Amino acid sequence: MSLIHFQILSAALFSIGIYGVLARRNAVLILLALELMLNAVNINLIAFAAYGELAQAATGQVIAIFVITVAAAEVGLAMAIILRLFRDRSSVDVYDVDVMKW
Amino acid sequence: MMLDAESVANLGVQWAWLAPAICAFAFFAIVVFSRFLPKQIALLSPLAILASFGVFWYVLNEFLSSGGGIFSVDWFTVGGTTFTLGIMIDPLSVVMLGLVTFVALMVQVYSLGYMKDQEGSFSWYFAAHSLFAAAMLTLVLADNFLLMYIAWELVGACSYLLIGFWYHKRSAAEAAKKAFITTRIGDVGLLIGILLLFNETGTFDISTIIHIAENGGIGSGTLTAAVLLIFLGAMGKSAQFPLHVWLPDAMEGPTPVSALIHAATMVVAGVFLVARAFPLFFMSDTAMLVVAVIGLVTALITAAMALVMTDLKRVLAYSTISHLGFMMLALGSFGFTAAIFHLVAHAFAKSLLFLGAGSIAHGTGGKRDIREMGGLWRRMPVTSISFGIGLLALGGIPPLSGFFSKDEILVAVLDGRGSLFFIMTLIAAFMSALYMARLLFLVVLGNLKTENDHSHESPLVMTVPLVVLAVLALGAGLLAPGLIPGYDGFGNWLYFKEAEAYHINFLVMTLSVVLSLAGFGLGWAMYSRKSLSADRIRGRFAGLHRVLVNKYYIDDLYQFGIDRAVLAFARFMALFDRIVVNDTGVNGLGRSVFLSGWRLRYLETGKVYNYALGMAVGVVAVALIWLLLLPYA
Amino acid sequence: MNLSLVVFYLLSVVCLGGAVGVVMSRNVVHAALLLLVSLMAVSGLYLLLLAEFLALVQVLIYGGAITIVVLFVIMLTRAQEFRSMSANPQWRLAIVTAFGVFVLLAAAIIKGAPTETVRQSLGFKELGNSLFTDWAVPFEVASLVLLVALIGAIVIARERDVE
Repeated sequence: MSLIHFQILSAALFSIGIYGVLARRNAVLILLALELMLNAVNINLIAFAAYGELAQAATGQVIAIFVITVAAAEVGLAMAIILRLFRDRSSVDVYDVDVMKW
Repeated sequence: MMLDAESVANLGVQWAWLAPAICAFAFFAIVVFSRFLPKQIALLSPLAILASFGVFWYVLNEFLSSGGGIFSVDWFTVGGTTFTLGIMIDPLSVVMLGLVTFVALMVQVYSLGYMKDQEGSFSWYFAAHSLFAAAMLTLVLADNFLLMYIAWELVGACSYLLIGFWYHKRSAAEAAKKAFITTRIGDVGLLIGILLLFNETGTFDISTIIHIAENGGIGSGTLTAAVLLIFLGAMGKSAQFPLHVWLPDAMEGPTPVSALIHAATMVVAGVFLVARAFPLFFMSDTAMLVVAVIGLVTALITAAMALVMTDLKRVLAYSTISHLGFMMLALGSFGFTAAIFHLVAHAFAKSLLFLGAGSIAHGTGGKRDIREMGGLWRRMPVTSISFGIGLLALGGIPPLSGFFSKDEILVAVLDGRGSLFFIMTLIAAFMSALYMARLLFLVVLGNLKTENDHSHESPLVMTVPLVVLAVLALGAGLLAPGLIPGYDGFGNWLYFKEAEAYHINFLVMTLSVVLSLAGFGLGWAMYSRKSLSADRIRGRFAGLHRVLVNKYYIDDLYQFGIDRAVLAFARFMALFDRIVVNDTGVNGLGRSVFLSGWRLRYLETGKVYNYALGMAVGVVAVALIWLLLLPYA
Repeated sequence: MNLSLVVFYLLSVVCLGGAVGVVMSRNVVHAALLLLVSLMAVSGLYLLLLAEFLALVQVLIYGGAITIVVLFVIMLTRAQEFRSMSANPQWRLAIVTAFGVFVLLAAAIIKGAPTETVRQSLGFKELGNSLFTDWAVPFEVASLVLLVALIGAIVIARERDVE
């Protein structure tokens, strides 16, 4: 088991997350896929922290902590937006969100 | 014949250029002022040609006393070459000058009467005549090929204008087109030939080219090629086989036009061209042989057609082509003097015959079919006698002019080309006597048909030219041998390389006279006494008769070729234009813009997930490109 | 083949399987719960990587906070009524893109050719030290981010008649 295993896993998870973001209609589900992507990044970071130079190990884990933090904040805000969206048009289907046309 | 520059400066012959200039001036004057004096202004044309005839007399006098020369002025310079305008005065050009001005004068005077009652613009007719005269005179006087070619094309254009004078008539318009296009084919050859010579010698000047060629400055292969191409041009203008098809159709034009252009002047331009370039032709045995053969073939096949045609003008047209063939044959057999003499004699007689045919049409109320004529001498004596003289002259009856000229040609052929050519020429001569006799007995002599009872003689303005030309047809033969003191005969005046006295070859002379008389005799038997039935002979040789009447189907062959080749090419071009240029190019451009807009619409849907996809695809694309190109960076 | 490799593969299968379930499931609630499963597997992977603190943080934050929030929002937006919705019109292109991304990343990874096989552990003490000395400023900023997110969420999600 070496670094490359974790890296490939991270890449796979990231790709699955991308598919989810691009191919889902429910805004909530898009957010869930987004979380997958963030976690993939985190795996990568922690793997580097574990297998790299000792002096930089802290960097990897600290940045991972920050990623989790920002992810949490973003989830909160995103949910607020989704609630607002739902309240205004009774639907969370991103198919109907096309006001950016003009 | 070339004199140096200083001594020629004072020669009177240099004023010969006035002849075409006066006619050109008349053309412009008529065109400009025809709006004000439509009928009267036309008189300017005969006056101009009369003045040109006067110039001829002056030039002739000066030539006989002081000799000829070449006079030129610089025209323009391109690159390192200077092009000139100039005239060349030698016996050949003096003869042509006289012939053209005289016959044109006769024809124009005649036209004053003939065209008065015809439809069409009176003044434009004479304007075209003046333009033609100017062009033709320039052609015969020119000292360089470039000027001659310009005049050559202009003469062709005038022919087109005059053949299609009655342009409302479909047949006339078609005939004019046919004439122009057929001669155009020859003209291309002429142009290429001239340019070939220019390429080899660096000049268009005729005498310079001859000088260079005689000193071996032009390769023999190139010379033969150039000369043959020039002959192609001559073939077109002089209606030699296979470019003869335009001349019979040209009879759609007014009869005086046929007399002038298609009997005496324009069609002889080809013969004149060969004569002018004769020193060049002389250096190529191949070319001489080609000229002789084509001349002979033309003479034979058109004489055969003249025997079966029923339209008076058509018979005369085919006869003209046949006699042009004789002239070419003479040139190809080294009979320079004979050819030119026949040119002159034929011009007088044939223009006489055409003008006579016009007079007959005028008098009988428009008849042109010889089967409807006969016995006209009772009602139209002057016309009939003149017409008859013309027929006898061209049939070769002594002592008319035609006999002398045909005799000279036969001698030349026998001496220059041998017995086979000689015998075939005799056959052609016999046929020409026969068809002339046919006309004589069917048109002039015989019984008067009742429907022609009211025919009347033509007015003086038409009959006087007829009489004058008849006198010349009668007596011009006397110019051949030297019978006048101080004049040694035509051959001692106009010759190539060495002067020739008139040849008296008793064998040839006898044969020629016998054949002419035999031809007339046969004609008398067939058409007058009717002891030999023409219809029976026609029945016996029905297939041959049909071929002859259909002009050997040559016209149909040409039409077929045009339909297949030219029109097919035109269709292909149209297809190409429609598919490639229009559909793919123009329409295609429009469609591609439309399609690209239609596809690019997806970039601006307003839907978030579309934009997200766009971003993702963009990233992937950029990264892929960067990854692939990294090894090469 | 040693124990850690086996564990790794097990955890990877759970993780990726859960992820696939998240993106393909027709039921929103199932998707949310499968996300939880996947993230717990990720936590296990952290343990494998000798990052204990982060594993705990992962469980706390994701399993505790985020999943709850998501479930609440699902409930509030009556997502179960829209169960028939699953995929976008552009899902084919999305698959292609996702695959392209994977290929890209894999290519980059293989090119990098990492060869390390020895894991090291970072102690709590060092992590805490680093967090409060080298990374002190980002740490403060992170707390600000959380504050802003909090306020923002309240503002956005507020009822309209409350002025």
